[in-house]
Amino acid sequence: MPLVGNIRDFGLSDFLYLVDRGYKTGCLHLSRADEMSSLYFDKGKLITATRKDDNVPVTDLLVRKGKLTAVQAAQAAQAHQSQNGVTLSQVLINLDLIGRDELQRVLQQHIEESVYALFSWNEGEFRFEQGQRPDPTAPIMPTPLAVEHLIMEGVRRIDEWGRIKDRIPNTDMVVKFIEQPIERTKGINLAADEWRVFARINGKDTLAEIARKTGMSEFDVCRIVYGFLTAGLVDVIRKPAPVPMLATGRPLAEAPRVKKSLVTRIINRIRGM
Amino acid sequence: MQTVKMVISGAVNAGKTEFIKTISEIEVVSTERPATDDTRLIKKETTVAMDFGRIAIGDDLVLHLFGTPGQKRFDFMWEILSEGMLGLVILVDSTRPETFRETNRIIDFFMSYRETPYVVAANKQDRPNAWSPEELRLALRLPSHIKVLPCMATDRESVKNVLLELLDVIMQRSED
Ligand SMILES: Nc1nc2c(ncn2[C@@H]2O[C@H](COP(=O)(O)OP(=O)(O)OP(=O)(O)O)[C@@H](O)[C@H]2O)c(=O)[nH]1
Ligand SMILES: [Mg+2]
Repeated sequence: MPLVGNIRDFGLSDFLYLVDRGYKTGCLHLSRADEMSSLYFDKGKLITATRKDDNVPVTDLLVRKGKLTAVQAAQAAQAHQSQNGVTLSQVLINLDLIGRDELQRVLQQHIEESVYALFSWNEGEFRFEQGQRPDPTAPIMPTPLAVEHLIMEGVRRIDEWGRIKDRIPNTDMVVKFIEQPIERTKGINLAADEWRVFARINGKDTLAEIARKTGMSEFDVCRIVYGFLTAGLVDVIRKPAPVPMLATGRPLAEAPRVKKSLVTRIINRIRGM
Repeated sequence: MQTVKMVISGAVNAGKTEFIKTISEIEVVSTERPATDDTRLIKKETTVAMDFGRIAIGDDLVLHLFGTPGQKRFDFMWEILSEGMLGLVILVDSTRPETFRETNRIIDFFMSYRETPYVVAANKQDRPNAWSPEELRLALRLPSHIKVLPCMATDRESVKNVLLELLDVIMQRSED
């Protein structure tokens, strides 16, 4: 079943997180007005991105960028026709028409730019088709791209509070790491400012305190933490509140413990319904 | 006579009233009213106060089910609900990702008062465009120890299963 929705309500970075953690394979189609983009993933990593108005074989793209001659492109296309289950990108490498690293560099830059442009969409329909694969001639990267990296870069381009507020309602929230953040940061290149914030995360300090200690603006700290949050590196939690009081004057903290025998009775009753 | 409570919460149109109707022994005391503002675009009737259902456990024990109202904030209900509250079911309309953020706010709201045992029910799994429980877990970023259960609020066995799973969580926190 496709997953459908609008990125106004469920943002692109939220979706990328889902793709990553769910090791999803398939295609995310995004559309608004007459624009349409498709991002293809393999086991949670991005392999290519295409746009409706620029849906060309990898060879055309490379010719356009001056990395391949028309003759070489035709040679590769011909060789590709006789091979099943191999991508045109792979054929280019096999024929030594372009080095693997060079191909990766050119395609990655091209694909990243089209993905970053999508982060500026405030609304647009999305549809995720599980299992859908790109055309073998598409500009498929030799090495799939980790999406945390895309999320961080996409978030770097956010310049308004609106979206950040949704996940970080105020600067009195405390930032803490989840799981093994160090493991996960391997795919991400943090900028200097991001490292400064990263190094201050201790599960005790609030966003406001981190801003004060780093001398950075609260907006910058929140934007950076929003990136970490979206990439699944940290969690932002409410500062433990002073125990709220009931109107009856009783403090309200620990959930009252119930007796096992009582729970067993309810379980038996519901089983028998 | 001892009374214990479970609360059924979730965003507008998640299926709270339906869930309680399916399992309650009494006619659900519902407070459906014609919906106002944005809600009207989705549905004609919404719950404006609380749904109330009841299951007798024995002569001396009764379980009350409270459904929170969909449209407005329900801070005011906390004191009513918190006394004797065993646990919480968070219902999600699995076909409407536009309600996922609201769902997170509701979970935060309850947890800001107290670490109440809860499960998340991925409702309307019979609908063709429903997100699966595992997809919902990722979309809502729920920690791995929180159960996300498939649910059809219209189906009694399914509702029973959700309540039993919640009771299992409650059991782990209970004392001898
Ligand atoms: N297909 C399907 N429809 C359901 C299911 N559960 C609820 N519905 C339908 O979803 C709509 C909303 O259900 P309600 O029970 O009114 O939802 P609610 O959470 O009480 O809504 P508010 O009180 O307005 O917040 C109704 O039309 C239900 O019949 C389900 O499991 N499957
Ligand atoms: Mg209702």
